[in-house]
Amino acid sequence: MTQHIVFEAGSRLPFPQNTKKVETAAMIHSIIKRDGRVVLYEQNKIAAAILRSMEASHDGDAADAARVANDVQRELESRFASQSPNIEAIQDMVEAQLMNHGFNAAAKAYILYRANRTRAREANTSLMKTIDEITNIDARHSDMKRDNANIDGNTAMGSMLQIGSAGAKAYNEMYLLRPEHAKAYREGDIHIHDFDFYSLTTTCCQIDILKLFHGGFSTGHGYLREPNSIQSYAALAAIAIQSNQNDQHGGQSIPNFDYGMAEGVAKTYRKAFGRRLRDAVEDYLDLSDEDSAIHAIIAAAEEATGETAKLESSEAYLSQVAQGLCRQYNLSQDMARKLITRASVRSCKKTDRDTKQAMEGFVHNLNTMHSRAGAQTPFSSINYGTDTSPEGRMVIRNILLALDEGLGHGETCIFPIHIFKVKEGVNYNEEDPNYDLFRLSCRVSAKRLFPNYTFLDSPFNLQYYVPGRPETEVATMGCRTRVMGNVHDPSRQIAYSRGNLSFTSINLPRLAIESHGDEKVFYEKLQAALELVAQQLLDRFEIQAGKHVYNFPFLMGQGIWLDSENLTLQDDLREVLKHGTLSIGFIGLAETLTSLYGQHHGQSETMEQKGLEIVGFMRDFCDKKSQEMKMNFTLLATPAEGLAGRFIRMDQKRYGKIPGITDREYYTNSFHIPVWYPISVYDKIRLEAPYHALCNAGHISYVELDGDTARNVEAFESVVRCMHDFGIGYGSINHPVDRDPVCGYVGVIGDACPRCGRREGEQIPAERVDELRKLYPQMPAFQGIQ
Amino acid sequence: MTVKSANEKLGQGVGFERIRRITGYLVGTMDKWNDAKRAEERDRVKHTMNGHA
Repeated sequence: MTQHIVFEAGSRLPFPQNTKKVETAAMIHSIIKRDGRVVLYEQNKIAAAILRSMEASHDGDAADAARVANDVQRELESRFASQSPNIEAIQDMVEAQLMNHGFNAAAKAYILYRANRTRAREANTSLMKTIDEITNIDARHSDMKRDNANIDGNTAMGSMLQIGSAGAKAYNEMYLLRPEHAKAYREGDIHIHDFDFYSLTTTCCQIDILKLFHGGFSTGHGYLREPNSIQSYAALAAIAIQSNQNDQHGGQSIPNFDYGMAEGVAKTYRKAFGRRLRDAVEDYLDLSDEDSAIHAIIAAAEEATGETAKLESSEAYLSQVAQGLCRQYNLSQDMARKLITRASVRSCKKTDRDTKQAMEGFVHNLNTMHSRAGAQTPFSSINYGTDTSPEGRMVIRNILLALDEGLGHGETCIFPIHIFKVKEGVNYNEEDPNYDLFRLSCRVSAKRLFPNYTFLDSPFNLQYYVPGRPETEVATMGCRTRVMGNVHDPSRQIAYSRGNLSFTSINLPRLAIESHGDEKVFYEKLQAALELVAQQLLDRFEIQAGKHVYNFPFLMGQGIWLDSENLTLQDDLREVLKHGTLSIGFIGLAETLTSLYGQHHGQSETMEQKGLEIVGFMRDFCDKKSQEMKMNFTLLATPAEGLAGRFIRMDQKRYGKIPGITDREYYTNSFHIPVWYPISVYDKIRLEAPYHALCNAGHISYVELDGDTARNVEAFESVVRCMHDFGIGYGSINHPVDRDPVCGYVGVIGDACPRCGRREGEQIPAERVDELRKLYPQMPAFQGIQ
Repeated sequence: MTVKSANEKLGQGVGFERIRRITGYLVGTMDKWNDAKRAEERDRVKHTMNGHA
């Protein structure tokens, strides 16, 4: 006889543990678990699982559950007699008995539950395998460990970061995603970027460095006073980038590097002028200890004019100082002016030297400082080029010179990304005040790959530009992210203090492949994919919006993010985060067109149109969604570092190698003309520019030049001008930058180094290196370990 | 500074550094790149200056 288990109607789980052990005649005593262990059979566990499904589907109660469980047991006894059944067999029977009893909804819930458990188990197993790979395999042999080129997967901290990331991903997929989003992500229909940070933070921010510095700030580890010299401005700028990086998962950028550092230059100059003037007076009049007298003269001049000494001081200010000197020391007007001029020239030199050192220090800092558990240097960017004040110009010139010099051994700096803002009337035309700096930027970029260029005259950027208000100049997060328009608050369409919240990309080629050349089907699928991604971004926003100021001590606590200065520690972030963007990205327009129509957009004018229609359709969707939600949905030309390979590997498994579509190891970046397709500079720029206007969440176009062309500054500049004239938003010019660590040569290296003649891995006599050093005094000393 | 002996040699096993751009970022040496991006870098063709610019 079987013992019937009787439940009170509506009883809740967990089940009482003291239900009687089942004692039967023909009996099942034990069962075999998935891992092979044999454990005691307990009928109440079966009943509990059945009841759970019934409650979840509102289909049946505890008495029903007990009845079904009894029938399951009866069948087990008849089929297995006294042998041990395995779990899967029992679950099959539960499904069958639920159906037999007419509990169809409960049966469906049970099947879903089983599927979920299976997925969780598989996730656990795969998580352990992943951690095993992270722990035991050299990054050189593990593509997974090289997924992000900025993390050293071989170091202890890098590995810990990757293990944490793997665990977070497994959790997020199981517990935070809707099943349809999890499926789309898992199967490669979409890619949720920075998925490990799904529940934690937002992507990136443009740090208004001036606002941060004014009045000083706190890093969370100590309070820093408002900086007082260009050296401390530059040092604190690096600290600001580092601190903010710990609150977000993406990059950090300073939109106003020139305007921001110019204040530091002015402070350094003002101090230097006071000291140099004192020295000049003391030397000329053979005095000592004139500190306080000079200080008083300068204070009086500042008081009278409301100005300070500057690289180009006003005549009013200088004449006040001159009068002060005449009175104090009975000097002639002429002599007073002479002393002032001497002090000015020397202060200028001193300030220039200090600025150069500060910029070198800044670049060194950003290439060596660590963030995120020591494994990464911060992803950092700086925007500059439009400040025409003498101080701003000094900053721009010196940051370019520091970039040009490279690091200690002449290495090309990887960070920060330099972005030169090009603007007619400011630096684009020969008669513009900063044209000389634009030229310098071309020379430097031709050697060091940076700066990249952002073009403020392109119509989609120009619409926001207000002269004299630098926050209306489009600034770029180096990888390409662009945040300007603002439907949440149209009075705040600015670059400063905002950033992307999250982004998810669509596997465009797959939609095309599955449409089998049917355009109508493709657009239906695309519409569905866009809806799915928009919902997923909103789900993620709900998690982000529920965070508090105290979760982001720097980003929100120090008022970096727009309007966060009006919040208290306990406030949630919903409203202020709406200044940010939710971005939908895409990859592989070229393969998509090839799949749908047989050619990509580099191959015919018809395809140019078709490409623009597809991307225009996506942009339209984003604009409508923005209006509907009053949130900033934007279209992103995805920066696909890891994604290019992930999508295509999955699609090759599904569809095999389709010529021109899935037959390479990567899908083409966003809207780019394929990298392998021969095309002129002019055509590449002309064909890609219209997509910059459409992809308002960010875009970049590259041009690949050979080394000789790149080093021809005229040619280099002409490419940048071509980008400007075609309405590119953000562009950069790629060319080979190789370096031989032994002789320090930087340039194109084929098989053999053009300077010292050695081939890769070969040795050369130390004497030869010494001879070369006489020819090239700048040559760094070879340290032996590079 | 160590005094170099007459037959001292430098550079055994030292490779060249080759810096390339992936997204907007530069990457120091390509041995940290993932397989797909290495393949993409390998396939890149130079763009010609013909006719214009």
